[in-house]
Amino acid sequence: MSYAISTLWHERARFFPGVLAVAFSALLIALQCGLLLGLFSITSIPIDESDADIWVAHPEVPSVDLGRPIPEAWASYLAMPEVVRVEPYMEGFGYWDKPTGGMELCLVIGSRLGPGAMGPVRQLTAEHRALLAQPGAIVVDEAEMGRLGISKVGDYTEIVGKQVRVVGTVRGLRSLAGPYVFCSLETARSILRPPPDQTTFLLVRCRSKEDIPTVVERLKKYDRKLMAMAAEDFSVRSRWHWLTKTKAGIALGLAAILGLMVGAVVTYQTLRSATVASLKEYAVLRALGIPRRHVIGLVVGQSFWVGLAGIAISIPLIHSLAIVGNIGAKVLLPWWLWTAAISITMTVAMLSGLLALRTLRHVEPVTLLR
Amino acid sequence: MYYDGSRTEPTLRAWGLCKSFGTGEMRTEALRDVGIELYPGQFSLLMGPSGSGKSTLLAVLSGLLHPDSGRVLAHDQDLWAMTERQREEFRLRHCGFIFQGYNLFPALTARQQLEMVLRWGKGYSASEARRRADQMLSTLGLAKKGDLRPMQLSGGEKQRVAIGRALIKDPTFLFADEPTAALDWKHGEQVVELLRAAAHDAGATILVVAHDARMVPYADRVFHLDDGVLAEGVERPMAMFADSRDVAAFGAI
Ligand SMILES: Nc1ncnc2c1ncn2[C@@H]1O[C@H](COP(=O)(O)OP(=O)(O)OP(=O)(O)O)[C@@H](O)[C@H]1O
Ligand SMILES: [Mg+2]
Repeated sequence: MSYAISTLWHERARFFPGVLAVAFSALLIALQCGLLLGLFSITSIPIDESDADIWVAHPEVPSVDLGRPIPEAWASYLAMPEVVRVEPYMEGFGYWDKPTGGMELCLVIGSRLGPGAMGPVRQLTAEHRALLAQPGAIVVDEAEMGRLGISKVGDYTEIVGKQVRVVGTVRGLRSLAGPYVFCSLETARSILRPPPDQTTFLLVRCRSKEDIPTVVERLKKYDRKLMAMAAEDFSVRSRWHWLTKTKAGIALGLAAILGLMVGAVVTYQTLRSATVASLKEYAVLRALGIPRRHVIGLVVGQSFWVGLAGIAISIPLIHSLAIVGNIGAKVLLPWWLWTAAISITMTVAMLSGLLALRTLRHVEPVTLLR
Repeated sequence: MYYDGSRTEPTLRAWGLCKSFGTGEMRTEALRDVGIELYPGQFSLLMGPSGSGKSTLLAVLSGLLHPDSGRVLAHDQDLWAMTERQREEFRLRHCGFIFQGYNLFPALTARQQLEMVLRWGKGYSASEARRRADQMLSTLGLAKKGDLRPMQLSGGEKQRVAIGRALIKDPTFLFADEPTAALDWKHGEQVVELLRAAAHDAGATILVVAHDARMVPYADRVFHLDDGVLAEGVERPMAMFADSRDVAAFGAI
């Protein structure tokens, strides 16, 4: 190994493109995936930014924004000591009448607003909640105002023919599909007009976090037509649904593979040229009877250190680019993404090294005698 | 200690060696029924015009190139009856090589070039390999150059490192193909002295391909190869040194 490191250091100009290629691959994978994760984390905002421990829904609900009506009476299943609070949660798409003309599909989200309520997103202040208690009062994201054709707080418009008034705005809650419209449970009911005694979700708060799995398991046994999921699981389900449904996952996969291929080719070329440059030296070692495995070890060692150096360079780059990226978008870099990006690029670097080993077939000591 | 050829068994015996390259019009007979016996402690020169087959003979005798026919017995083992693996092992135990180019790893220090052979070839520990490498470097007059890389060494110094790499595992055979070709005579002479010492002091069997007739006085034996035919002694000096540089050199003796 020490000879590999010495070689890498003293011929760094030669190895630099390979190191850079590895760094580029890691960067591309991490940022591509991070950006996509960030993008699709938007779909689970209503779950992630609210306070429920468990979401009870219709079993065919693939994502939080695609809720279906369920009987409010299911709340009776939740009469158990581990459950401290249950509340209904109304949600559905509706056409927003743009005052400037035209329509826009929006996602109406109505929840309880009182003290200790689980449904409202954190961004709704006490003031917002007080204002939302008025019938027809709504809050939207500041950044969606243009899309919704409104210019200021206090503007009136209609959703599915029901008059609403914007009483405040929030930040950072832009959505992927229709803009979110936050309101009280009653306002949502009046807009969405569900069948009587129906709701979209039931939100559950448990006595403690440890009770969540117990309660979920028990609910599953009650009724097979019921879906109960811990908030985190429902969040993952929602993101996964959109990731796969929109085929963005495929686009991501292709982009990542492309990046990997570029990385692999450059790394391979680098290691190959380094190996070719030393073929005569290797041939001397072979003439002296040094077993082949040591030379193989040297080349593989070089690819290992090229990989490691590339990853070392990529880590601060990924960090800083993620920060830059977060200004305009959202980049999520969970630990498993780091692990995956690092191990995939490392594997590619090592494979490139193994491929470069093929050039060692040209090591013929006799060619040194001419 | 001087090994007298008449009282010792040869360490290397070869006979009936033939090797040709190409077919038909392109066919070259590089070796024609060559036989040779080499003794331990002898520094032998192999001379001859360009293209006469010197490198080919060296390769066949050292187990690097399969002859078309003939046998090579090294330490009474039939080199070309061995498997590739056995031949490799034989070279590891017994053979040192010096080639025309220095063929040193550009990124490694002089010491590392030598250590590498001991650590990889003999499985020596890092400290033992280092000790022996330093010892070899001072024998070669390179005691202060251990930490330098090939780029920082002169041609003569590089060739001495290459010689050190060939000698460090105490080979019983040392094969050198024009080791002084790239050096001026002052440095070439140093190299010849080193090789001669390796033969006379360590009892190695040394065969050196050379063009330069100034080396002849240093040699115990001189072989001459002409168009694939081997003869001992400098029988036809003027015919042997085909180019003018060599003729001049020969005249200087
Ligand atoms: N691999 C090969 N393929 C074809 N011909 C070869 C090959 N190796 C050597 N020869 C031929 O065999 C002959 C002897 O070559 P060799 O290299 O042994 O000569 P040499 O005596 O070492 O010459 P020089 O002093 O120029 O190094 C030459 O005519 C050369 O062209
Ligand atoms: Mg030659």
